[in-house]
Amino acid sequence: MLKRKILAACAAALAVASLNGGIDIPPGGFTPGWEKSEGLREFPGSRLFDYIDGGAELFLEFGFKRLSLQRYKKGEDELLLEIYEMESPEAALGIYLMKCGGETPIKGVDARNSGEPAQFTILKGRSFIHINNSSGREKLLPVMVELTRRALIGIPDERAANLVGRLPGQGLKPGSACLFRGPVGLQAFYTLGEGDILDQRGILFGVAGSYEDPQSGHFTLILIDYPDDIRAMAAYQNLAGHLDPYLRVLKTDEKGLVFEDFQKKFGTISLRGARLELKVGLSSKPPSPSRP
Amino acid sequence: MIPRSYRSMESRLHINRRQFFKAGGAAGAAAGLGLLAGRSLVFAQNAAPAKIERPKTNIDEATKAPKTQHSLPGPFPGRVVEVQDPKCLANGRVDAALIKSMFEKGITGLTGKNLKKSFALFFEKGDVVGIKVNPVGPGLISTRLEVVDAIIDWLTSAGLPRRNIIIWDRFDYMLKDAGFTAERYPGIGIEGLQTMDEAAAEGKTKDNSRWLRPDGTHVSADNFDKDAFYWADVEGPKDEPYLNQHVFNGKYSYFGKLLTRKLTKIINVPVFKNAGNAISMATKNIGYGAVCNTNRLHQPLFLDVCVEVPAFPAVRDKLVLNVTDGIKAQYEGGPGPEAKFIYDYGTLFFGTDPFALDLVCHTLIVKKRKDMGVKVNEHPRFTEYLRYAQKLGLGIGDLEKIEHVKV
Repeated sequence: MLKRKILAACAAALAVASLNGGIDIPPGGFTPGWEKSEGLREFPGSRLFDYIDGGAELFLEFGFKRLSLQRYKKGEDELLLEIYEMESPEAALGIYLMKCGGETPIKGVDARNSGEPAQFTILKGRSFIHINNSSGREKLLPVMVELTRRALIGIPDERAANLVGRLPGQGLKPGSACLFRGPVGLQAFYTLGEGDILDQRGILFGVAGSYEDPQSGHFTLILIDYPDDIRAMAAYQNLAGHLDPYLRVLKTDEKGLVFEDFQKKFGTISLRGARLELKVGLSSKPPSPSRP
Repeated sequence: MIPRSYRSMESRLHINRRQFFKAGGAAGAAAGLGLLAGRSLVFAQNAAPAKIERPKTNIDEATKAPKTQHSLPGPFPGRVVEVQDPKCLANGRVDAALIKSMFEKGITGLTGKNLKKSFALFFEKGDVVGIKVNPVGPGLISTRLEVVDAIIDWLTSAGLPRRNIIIWDRFDYMLKDAGFTAERYPGIGIEGLQTMDEAAAEGKTKDNSRWLRPDGTHVSADNFDKDAFYWADVEGPKDEPYLNQHVFNGKYSYFGKLLTRKLTKIINVPVFKNAGNAISMATKNIGYGAVCNTNRLHQPLFLDVCVEVPAFPAVRDKLVLNVTDGIKAQYEGGPGPEAKFIYDYGTLFFGTDPFALDLVCHTLIVKKRKDMGVKVNEHPRFTEYLRYAQKLGLGIGDLEKIEHVKV
């Protein structure tokens, strides 16, 4: 009899989980007095525009599957849980790095996170999570921590490939690394040209970070690894052929080019086998693309 | 209150779903970004680049209309006044009296005249004055009620009847969410140019009767003036969700009748926030707030709309004052509200020239973004629209020619 009850409970739990595609939305009463204030809302794929029409394209570019949204209320206090399921742990990491700002981790949250009383931003596996407290009241912090804890229970802890590790560590400013998988992400920090100028085809991740270098000063390094030399060469040719009109090419050779931008700063584009390496925002003019 | 949705008027700098997928996912997004400044687009897939020209618009009709004494950029082109007092938000409480005092300093600092004479510079006692607010991020970053209170105090103490003041935005439900209600503002008009059924828009109900009439038109269709429009050679999608949100599809964005027939003057009160690497302040608040059927414009025209819509007489000849509300500000994550990036700024900005005002605020927010360690793209495309406005004689878009005064 007991075995049957346990099996039934497991089946019910699985049914709930499958309804939410594996995401275990914390129930009402996850902590005393806090109840769901409306039903679960879900926005799969392109329906994300119905929720954040005007900001969804970055999620879609990284690879978005579904948003689950649940409100909780106790008296006048209200919290909003948003769980964004992404295609891969790398996609979730990409969004997290774009959105987290300077990381200020909250104690008691067992996942990478950045938080303050108005909002927690959390990364676990393929999920990017927001917990919003628009009142900003600090007294809700323990409730937010508990809600986070409950939300994380059902999320597998998959590790993302170490894409950020492609960036050399020396001189890299802490917290400056970010990923991008297309023009929306790239445009956030630099304009090299129109469209899919780096030929990422919505698949390849690029990685970027800010550096302080005694010789070059402050600059941003951008790296993209292509499947092979031929693809990298094609991407380079596309970039060189359609460079933004505000970037003035100063020098070219078989391995790359040097340009000057609209702020009188310099940049290099270098082809290194299957990798495209760009430095932008250099304060002094590099002698050649290969020796910036 | 937690904002129910980040959709709406604040999707302007970005493309929408239909545009994204029509143009092919990421490439579609690139289209939106690529055309930010109305420049041509290149799809890079190792194929011949496809160029899309900037769509034609009826801007010539706007520029041909004769100007009046109140036309943009008003009596103080290029002049921007900043008033800062961090104490207005001391201990997490809003000091309404201090905000009123900041407002008065700003007005007198802008005009060089006392409050009464300043009023007379912009208004007559028979005017119907619309206060255009930004209610998009209620509870987080929408136009503060205390700033609107200060404006109303100024107008009424100079003799304008309360019934001649209307607080407005494009969407009625957003005004309510942000606290702009008849109960809070007795005697003052509160008007949205249109309604939108959120439940239908989010697919929570198939009952369209709250926004769609039996004849297939939107219940707010009559609120827009078919004789005053911004035309752009871009079709609006024809599906119901779009119609629900935008009242019309097709190539016409009609001005609200409120602007064309009722209001004689407008005070624009945006909030201080970013929109990606651009801003969502004075010119966007009015440019995308005065007309319907706007989503179709995001991809091909983006910030140009912030110039071309205000170039029409319904805005150009009535918008006499802009007050950018930076009591709280947002430096990243915008235009949607993002609590983490909202900060106490305690600042109000004043100008008759919304383009100069936006350029000053753009410069300040870029500095803030850098200070906070945000990677900033300072490409000229994000301010090109301001230079376009200068070319049209609507304002100043050159920092060298701007007089930024702190009082």
